[in-house]
Amino acid sequence: MLRFIIKRLFLAVAVAFTVSMISFSLLFMAGDPAIALAGESATEADIEAYRVQYGFDRPIFEQYVSWLGNFLTGDFGKSYYFGTPVFDLVMSKLPVTMTLGFCAITFAILISIPMGAIAATRPNSLIDRVALFIAVVGQAMPSFWFALLMIVAFAVKLGWLPVSGSSSWYHFIMPTIALGYYATPAIMRLTRAGMMEVLGTDYIRTARAKGMSPTKILFKHALRNAVIPVVGLAAVQLGFMLSGSVIIESIFALNGAGFLAFESISRNDFPVVQALIMIFSLIYVLLTLLSDVLNAWLDPRIRTA
Amino acid sequence: MKMKLAALLMGVAVLASPATADKNDDTLRIAMAFDLENLDAYQNTARVGIILARHVWDGLIYRNPTTNEYEGNLATEWHWVDDTTLEFSLREGVKFHNGEEFNANDVVYTINFVADPENGVRPARNVQWLAGAEKIDDYKVRVNLKYAFPAAFEFLAGSLPMYPDEYHSSVGPEGMAANPVGTGPYKVSGHVQGELISLERNDAYHPASPKGAPSIKFIDWRTMPEMNTQYAELLSGGLDWTWQIPPDQAENFAAMGKLNVTNEMTMRIGYIGMDASPRHGDTPLDDVRVRRAIAHAIDRQGIVDSLMKGASVVVHSACFPSQFGCEQDVAKYEYSPEKAKALLAEAGYPDGFDLTMSTFYQDSPPEAIQQSLANVGINIALDRTKYAALRERVHNAEVPFLYMSWGSYSINDVSAITSKFFRGGKDDYAQDSEVMNWLEIADTTTDPAVRKENYSKALKKIASEVYWLPTWTFNSNYVFSKELNFVPTSDEIPRFFTATWN
Amino acid sequence: MLKPVVNLAEADATPSPAAQMRRRAMRNMSLLFGGGVVLIVALCAIFAGFLAPQDPYQQDLTARLISPIWMDGGSWDHILGTDQLGRDYLSRLLFGARISLFIGVVTALISGIIGTTLGVTAGYFGGRVDAVVMFLITVRLSMPVILVALAAVALFGGSLQVVVLVLGFLLWDRFAVVIRASTKQIRSQDYIISAQALGCSQTRIIMTEIMPNLLNNLIVVLTLEMAAAIIIEAGLSFLGLGVQPPLPSWGLMIAEGKDMMLFLPWIITIPGVALFVLVFSINLVGDGVRDVTAPENRN
Repeated sequence: MLRFIIKRLFLAVAVAFTVSMISFSLLFMAGDPAIALAGESATEADIEAYRVQYGFDRPIFEQYVSWLGNFLTGDFGKSYYFGTPVFDLVMSKLPVTMTLGFCAITFAILISIPMGAIAATRPNSLIDRVALFIAVVGQAMPSFWFALLMIVAFAVKLGWLPVSGSSSWYHFIMPTIALGYYATPAIMRLTRAGMMEVLGTDYIRTARAKGMSPTKILFKHALRNAVIPVVGLAAVQLGFMLSGSVIIESIFALNGAGFLAFESISRNDFPVVQALIMIFSLIYVLLTLLSDVLNAWLDPRIRTA
Repeated sequence: MKMKLAALLMGVAVLASPATADKNDDTLRIAMAFDLENLDAYQNTARVGIILARHVWDGLIYRNPTTNEYEGNLATEWHWVDDTTLEFSLREGVKFHNGEEFNANDVVYTINFVADPENGVRPARNVQWLAGAEKIDDYKVRVNLKYAFPAAFEFLAGSLPMYPDEYHSSVGPEGMAANPVGTGPYKVSGHVQGELISLERNDAYHPASPKGAPSIKFIDWRTMPEMNTQYAELLSGGLDWTWQIPPDQAENFAAMGKLNVTNEMTMRIGYIGMDASPRHGDTPLDDVRVRRAIAHAIDRQGIVDSLMKGASVVVHSACFPSQFGCEQDVAKYEYSPEKAKALLAEAGYPDGFDLTMSTFYQDSPPEAIQQSLANVGINIALDRTKYAALRERVHNAEVPFLYMSWGSYSINDVSAITSKFFRGGKDDYAQDSEVMNWLEIADTTTDPAVRKENYSKALKKIASEVYWLPTWTFNSNYVFSKELNFVPTSDEIPRFFTATWN
Repeated sequence: MLKPVVNLAEADATPSPAAQMRRRAMRNMSLLFGGGVVLIVALCAIFAGFLAPQDPYQQDLTARLISPIWMDGGSWDHILGTDQLGRDYLSRLLFGARISLFIGVVTALISGIIGTTLGVTAGYFGGRVDAVVMFLITVRLSMPVILVALAAVALFGGSLQVVVLVLGFLLWDRFAVVIRASTKQIRSQDYIISAQALGCSQTRIIMTEIMPNLLNNLIVVLTLEMAAAIIIEAGLSFLGLGVQPPLPSWGLMIAEGKDMMLFLPWIITIPGVALFVLVFSINLVGDGVRDVTAPENRN
């Protein structure tokens, strides 16, 4: 087990490095950091001075290595736009995004797994078709449209929920739904497929023959085994949500890391973007690592794969 | 069971309903679409920063928005000692938010601090004309200019808030940004970056101030980047005031009758910049006939009537009509697609040509311009980028044709716009040495007649050569609660210290 | 009496697998309904020039924001109303179908080629090659798509070509994963092993034996990615980074109309519904293909 974890850990770290290298180069091509830093009224001489002072005239790889070194010691640099340390900036915005992502994936799981399980027990029935329909509907609506529709319905017309902000848990209801529903189809389908496969096995047939109650079969045995691939998928979806929360954060004025990333790219504020991409990919990589470990623990056959 | 459920739901509804107690707890909730990167008045460049600065700090003088007269704020009297020296008598009995006394030390400290380029004040043009200041006595100072700078009063009134010397020298710009301290009608009581700035009325605000005494006790200043969210908050009662609403939505709000909708002019003008210089290599725009054709091709009045609406008007000169020196008697190009096509044919483009127009505006006018030009054969590819990226590309001479706007930071002087864009440098699309010369003379003399004469020459040439095609003035729609008394001003700086509850 | 000879004709009456599949296809609701809608949209796109009552780019500033026919102030001149620049909405919708379909198809093709190549290579050769491809897939999955798209647009400017290329080069992961798994499964089959034993070249094996068997899964993923690309483009347009005006992309129509959403909901509902119907139908086709080609997966 330990070997497995270590192997996966190495892989995770390698992935994170590669991602950050790619994004570093991409950002470099996208705009001149010296100009972004020097500001509006800077002269050519000013810009050149910044270039030398910050070392932008060094080869890209050298700059990357020096950035990486700083990053690993916790020095994320200073934001070009705000002038404040990127670390503080990012840490102040990350909690909102993490909360949102966590709530969204929980919502998705709470809806999808039961739906998928029930659909699996009655394949091709009305329930099955309705569940599949709901799943596909979720993927066919652009998230911003759905979010705006919800605001009009629940906040403006009915006044049940606040429109925007993040000061209470009510504020997270609509953003959670808007972000989470997109993951429901995939999780539901996977649960359903996994359940159906498990339900057809000899093991389950034996249990049925022995007279075990259907509910017990469903929850104690079938679900446990079917959930395994879902764990992996959920981790992947959570990773997507964290980085894909830009639109939702913008609409609901949630002041999170996704929105910060979007704004920072628009402003060529490279240190912030670089730090955020690195953090997002690290989170994703750790999540998949966690889910791999969890899977391996649940199903020992996977460890040797 | 049913009763319990109903009660629970009602309880949820009550808890969840947004606070409608706005007037009741004396809190004005306003929304801005852009956040502030830094609360320090000398470290931000956005309009939001200008507005905040008016509320939290005072300058030596203050321009009355209705009469355009300069009145004393932290200064009581002033006069020119010579061309480059101003002497101020300061007001006594004024205190900063933290209790510090205001006196000459603060003025000298502030001016010397911002005049030093090492301190990186943004934008630099607000302070680069200052040489320094010296104390004469506790309530008298002399401010020294680097050169004769006629717009000095404009900047002193608008862009030079006075900082407390003891506080600032001990906490520095970071400290000031974290906890702003000024003499203004409001103090900053809380700040969540990108989300909320909380202001509280300064009950010790000096009574002789031309800004008047502030009435509303608390101002909650929220950042809401998504306009629909702002509208929804307005409609559900979660917001009391917002502005810069597009004309269609303003009309819709007005039709609903639940909120006050006012339209007011701003000092911002739109313009189409065309590269006539060799900076971008050879383009059709090098030929003045092509530029004049473009001027004739665009139906500016039509766009103003149907898209800009409100108080907007078409402008013909590269400045805002009320600004000092803004010559209005310049070449005017009426809307005439026929004339445009004739000029294009004459210049050798009877079938038109292709061109990319860059802009950061996401709304309809650029598309209308695109259509106008398409009608005479000029095929425009629209390139919409963010402001920062666009500015960078302009400075790199990558954008020969663009639609932009400029608000002059609400400085009521031609030097704040024409000189910025036509005195050489990377924003200058014309690089015309005659124009540069006239502008330099006008910028550096204090004789109003000489200034007017030279600005006039420069603006006339800019118009006849169509280095810029000024398009229209921008207006702003204000939408606010009926419980609020708010009067907008034409300088695009909302003043909440004069607002009251009904 | 002689015993009757086995009737060969009857013995051959059992339909071939292909015929069975065709029959299933004819009866599968998802495929019929979804395929039908997609076909209609495609026809609209192709014949937009004939069907559209007006030029989708023609502005009329005096006829802005006219309501659709079923509301007050609507008229038969503009059945679906006009947008904020006075352009006929129905015409824009029809021409917009071209753009949505173009984005969906081309993106799916590009990402399909990339992903399939990677997937087949990884699944067939295994070992180190597989490890490298898995690494690439993980790297790609850890990159936040929206942020990369933003940076790319900042680099190259927003346009139809940029969007399609960026999405094409980013959305290949699902292809790679699915094709890899399928390839591995097929590779272990007996007939592959025999072909290898017979000395057939790797390329020949891949092209003639493996690829045809991948087709089913490939089509399913193609449809999913088509749908995803269309939705993502709408999101990019919402952020101002998708195609540029005056192209009548449905996503851009939603983005341009969103400011009026609270007062004139039809402005974003119409393109939103169109998007929804198209994407939903594409998904149905994918489901249908999956059902038809591998019915055992359903039960």
